[in-house]
Amino acid sequence: MAHAYTPGLKVTNRVRHRTRRLLPLPGEVLAEIGSHVQAQDVVAQAFMPGDVSPINLSNALSLPPGDIPDIMTRKEGDVIEVGDVIAVTRGIFGFFKTDYKAKVAGKIETISKVTGQVIVRGEPMPVQVKAYLSGEVVEVLPQEGVAIENEVSLIQGIFGIGGETCGPIRMACESHNDKLTLEKITSEMKGAVVIGGARMTGEAVQRAIEVGAVAVVSGGMDDQDLRQILGYDLGVAITGSEKIGLTLIITEGFGDISMAAKTFELFKTREGDEASVNGSTQIRAGVMRPEIIIPLSESELASETESVHSSGMLDVGTTVRIIRDPWFGLIGSVTGLPTDPTTLGSGSKARVLDVKMESGETVTVPRANVELIEE
Amino acid sequence: MQGSIRIRMMMLMAAFVVVCGWSAISNAAPPAPPSGITVKDAPNDAGTGLIVEWQLSPDDRKDADPRVVVRYEIDRLARPLKPENETPIKESKFAKVGEVNFQLAKYLDQNANRQHEYLYRVRAVSVDGESSTAVESTVAVQPELQYFDMRRAWYLVLLVVVGGAVVYFIQVVKSGKDLKIRKIAGLEAVEEAVGRATEMGRSCLFIPGILDINDIQTVAGITVMSRVAGLVAEYNASLEIPTCRSLVMTTSRETVAAAYLSAGRPDAYREDDIYYLTDEQFGYVAAVTGNMVRKKPAACFYMGAFFAESLLLAETGNAIGAIQVAGTAMPSQLPFFVAACDYTLIGEEFFAASAYLSHEPHQLGSLKGQDIGKFIGGILIIAGCLLATVVAVMTDPPSGLESLVTFIRENILGEKGFMP
Amino acid sequence: MEEPAADVTVGVTNAVTEIAELSGRKLVDDNGQIIRPAQGDVGCDAYISTSSAGGGLQMMVAGVVREMTAASAKRAALGAGAIVMDVIASNDRRLPHEQIQRIRELRPDMILISGGTDGGTTSHVVQLAELIAPAKPQPRFGSEYRMPVIYAGNKEAVPIVEETFDKSVELSVVPNLRPVLERENLGPARDKIHDLFLEHVMAHAPGYDKLISWTDSPIMPTPGAVGDILRTIAEGQGINAVGVDIGGATTDVFSVFDGVFNRTVSANLGMSYSISNVCSEAGMPSILRWVHLEMDERELRNRVKNKMIRPTTIPQTLEALVFEQAVSREALRLAYQQHKEFATTLKGVQQQRTVGDTFSQNTSGQTIVDNMKLDLLVASGGVLSHAPRMVQTAAMLVDAFQPEGITTLAKDSIFMMPHLGVLAQVHSKAALEVFERDCLIYLGTCVAPKGQGQRGKPCFSYSIRSHALNELGEISCGELKQLPLADGEKAEITVEPARGFDCGAGKGKPVRKEIRGGTVGIILDGRGRELELSTKREQSVPAVTQWNQALDLYPESS
Repeated sequence: MAHAYTPGLKVTNRVRHRTRRLLPLPGEVLAEIGSHVQAQDVVAQAFMPGDVSPINLSNALSLPPGDIPDIMTRKEGDVIEVGDVIAVTRGIFGFFKTDYKAKVAGKIETISKVTGQVIVRGEPMPVQVKAYLSGEVVEVLPQEGVAIENEVSLIQGIFGIGGETCGPIRMACESHNDKLTLEKITSEMKGAVVIGGARMTGEAVQRAIEVGAVAVVSGGMDDQDLRQILGYDLGVAITGSEKIGLTLIITEGFGDISMAAKTFELFKTREGDEASVNGSTQIRAGVMRPEIIIPLSESELASETESVHSSGMLDVGTTVRIIRDPWFGLIGSVTGLPTDPTTLGSGSKARVLDVKMESGETVTVPRANVELIEE
Repeated sequence: MQGSIRIRMMMLMAAFVVVCGWSAISNAAPPAPPSGITVKDAPNDAGTGLIVEWQLSPDDRKDADPRVVVRYEIDRLARPLKPENETPIKESKFAKVGEVNFQLAKYLDQNANRQHEYLYRVRAVSVDGESSTAVESTVAVQPELQYFDMRRAWYLVLLVVVGGAVVYFIQVVKSGKDLKIRKIAGLEAVEEAVGRATEMGRSCLFIPGILDINDIQTVAGITVMSRVAGLVAEYNASLEIPTCRSLVMTTSRETVAAAYLSAGRPDAYREDDIYYLTDEQFGYVAAVTGNMVRKKPAACFYMGAFFAESLLLAETGNAIGAIQVAGTAMPSQLPFFVAACDYTLIGEEFFAASAYLSHEPHQLGSLKGQDIGKFIGGILIIAGCLLATVVAVMTDPPSGLESLVTFIRENILGEKGFMP
Repeated sequence: MEEPAADVTVGVTNAVTEIAELSGRKLVDDNGQIIRPAQGDVGCDAYISTSSAGGGLQMMVAGVVREMTAASAKRAALGAGAIVMDVIASNDRRLPHEQIQRIRELRPDMILISGGTDGGTTSHVVQLAELIAPAKPQPRFGSEYRMPVIYAGNKEAVPIVEETFDKSVELSVVPNLRPVLERENLGPARDKIHDLFLEHVMAHAPGYDKLISWTDSPIMPTPGAVGDILRTIAEGQGINAVGVDIGGATTDVFSVFDGVFNRTVSANLGMSYSISNVCSEAGMPSILRWVHLEMDERELRNRVKNKMIRPTTIPQTLEALVFEQAVSREALRLAYQQHKEFATTLKGVQQQRTVGDTFSQNTSGQTIVDNMKLDLLVASGGVLSHAPRMVQTAAMLVDAFQPEGITTLAKDSIFMMPHLGVLAQVHSKAALEVFERDCLIYLGTCVAPKGQGQRGKPCFSYSIRSHALNELGEISCGELKQLPLADGEKAEITVEPARGFDCGAGKGKPVRKEIRGGTVGIILDGRGRELELSTKREQSVPAVTQWNQALDLYPESS
């Protein structure tokens, strides 16, 4: 027995999922505990303090900063409009007065006698947080947000781009080995979460954007295609804010790689159901993976729950996937677990295992280069 | 007896007289005429010149002493080409047009015109003014117009090379390739100097020289001023510009206001910081240095034409601990600036500043093209010096070499060339 | 630290118990406490610790001029072991509202404000405070504590700055970082950062309060400790040293030149999480020029991204190893380049000139990193320390850092440097001894004259003498040669560079020096400096193949 790497990606057809929907700053929570919300419902909103614009009155009126507080016609806290006179100089014997008309609207926050700056804060901007997941509000954090829970099917991908969206699941491929190609995208897929099998091609994604699909999920994709879609070479793996027209999620990796059969089957059983999709990925300390959440309907809730898998243990007979070249993406079962480190082709020594692949061939790979597949 | 002696004496005397008389006659005889006269068109002119050449008179010998022939006189007969158009020149017979010294066999007549054809004759003239018989050209020659002065062909070559280089480099820059310009420390340091002023909470002082705006150095100084002002605006520091001429003040105000605007801080621009002091050289210096000692600016820029005040200003700036950047094309003031300032833009660097700062393709390309011109000029000067030295050292230099040196000296490096 | 062991002391006790088992000495008592001080053969003399919890210390710094006080503030923060998330300065080309937006978005652990010399600008510094105060920056770990803000600027602005900040931040005032522009005073600010790191940031990690009470000297951020040991070594031996630690996400470069210490963190240059960024920053052609095998670019791109999303895999084939080491060369090169740009002399200093300087006016702010003066280059981090062959580590160092003259190469055996850094504070002699004996594995010495020459023309001749080795020879331009000289042995080398080449004594001047051997030996490098390697494959492949054969880098491939 030995530990093996798993990316820890959850693929379950039933789990109680809880999501926290928090405001970036204190605001108002619109939902109550126990209420049911839909994905598109606004559950909390806040007003983000407006943009700050400093006005250098000392320069504008050619006065020493120390004089500024005395010549102000408006005080800190006053609300001003564009064109309002906010300061008037004393002039000479009451003549030759100059005034300053505000060029921005907002509230005067501070008047500094050191820098001669007046800081005006603009109109607050509303920030709304949507429920994202349909379900029950189980917790209200006053002024901050809510927690929503529901019984869902949860699928985490390994990498994605684009932010939160939702739509019905639509299968585009027959099998998990099918490439998601151009002709598989049809105009009925408008507004849908399109599920492919193996690699999604660049043209297919382009077509999906054209027909108005909200998300495309598939096993893999070429980096070359990703670069074309994004228009630049993705460097740092922190995504979620891209604006390409839809959300893309790959579940397995880059290159020609099929979606795990289990994942594909799960999608198939849930075809037509509303799903919440988020492509945000962060591969760092505090890792974040893209996800597809499909709330269960009343009828499905009645069916039995799935047993929990124990994971992370390698044994002879365990199904693994090789996650590094030269056999990237291939699946096989463990046939041997030699204990002593073996010298690899690269010259380094590492602990290895023998894998018998679906083709019948047996290969030796480092233990670090396989991941467990749950069946 | 007596009579015979007398007769003898008379005969002797007569003989003497005869001899003397003969010699007097032979002294007054005209020299032998020159021969073989030819006339041809003078090349590379606008059709105004003809060249007359002849063989020297046999009496005109190099080592003759005393000289028999002292000069040659050239006469000309002009014939109108179209008889009805006879008005301009009424020479129907030979008239003298010029003369040349002995031992010369060539005359350039530059007063011909293309409406006439000319016949020439040349006479050798002796010390006494006796003329030989004239030798006359047989064929009438008409001057011709040449559209190109081939003697200046080298100028065309240079023009094409330098101009071509400028155009080429402009294209290169436009195509997005970066031309390497040597780092000019003085201009790089502007940012540092303004930064220092900002950190220390002091002002920057800019002096655009003491000459008026019509001086090219003042103009170059104002280019740098725009850069300094842009940085000052960006750093939110303050800039003071005392000027010595009213027009320079006006120009400076416009420049600085524009620089503040393009830095996005038009509100920070203060017109009163750019002011006129006096036209008086030392009155100006006294006011500026006094101001420097009182306000202690942290960065001083001297960019323009300076005279005796250079060291007064720079030394004061040094004493108050400012970072100083100077730029001038006054060779006599450069040593003072170099010694007293942190950075100095020297002559050409100062003028290149605008291309350096703007990175605008046209300016960059011209700068690089001019470099090619300077490089060629340098090569020619070195080659010319070497050739001239060789010619001077050699006892019997080949005539080709000698004429090449003459050509370089007179046409390329002389008054018609690089040094007008 | 993840569930279930959400208390650091659990891990510490486990580790100490393991050491105890190995050394056969009882170190932990029955209550799970470390026994201190030593009593007979039980317990230990001191327990020290470093921390990189939560991805290390993340800071935001602010200063007036980016190249002056802001740069000093950044140096202070980096030197203390922090990651600098952003630098706010008056001249950073951002409008005030953009700066405020940025401050809001960042969630630093700490903020350092500097600016103005003592007696210098007040308005700029107050302006910075006026930007930061209304932005109300949120600390990264929850909202239970107030954001620590350190002010290290113009002392005359202190009262106004204090007035500007309300009670929502924890303001500490330390002496100015740049009391005058000519001098930097980073010590007080750095110490304050360490204090606040312990008091605030660490205190919020579970179990740390207990751990702090165990340690004999304050817990330091790991990179800060690495810097300390490198500085101690360089000062102790009077040498110039560069250290590098290449990780999965970041690459740290440390340098000590003429007693001046600098550290930079290249946040997005690394071998796993950041590998994709290395490829996009350096460009695939630049990486592939180090690869002598034919590879398919489309395939490689996918492999790079797969490594990024599955960072723990290791190269299995030689091909994969060659590519990974090529990436590391570029990552190290870029990190060192960033380091050079950052480690400069102070800017804004008045220059003294003579008329002789007319045509050689140097600007201040030149880099102080001089590869010719470099004596010791220390490597650490996965791809360097776990390369299958030592010579590969040496080759990566030489190719990426391009040391000039005569340079000793070493690697940190088991990432011991940070701990020695803390130990150096308690017992500096012991730290130095352990460093020399156990921490470093000497790879050997690189001899590389500076200059460029035509391929095949002579570059330098050498004679090496030791009791085991007696070699004479000549290296031509573009040639690379390896001579064995075992670890612990010393040899005397005389290098006579050809015209136009400089080996430390000036162009064409001979150099005589004692050098030390190592697991790799002596690398004689005639490839010239800067090392030029074209991105055209028809040029790079033969060159790299030749070099690889000379060093026997990848014996299996030939």
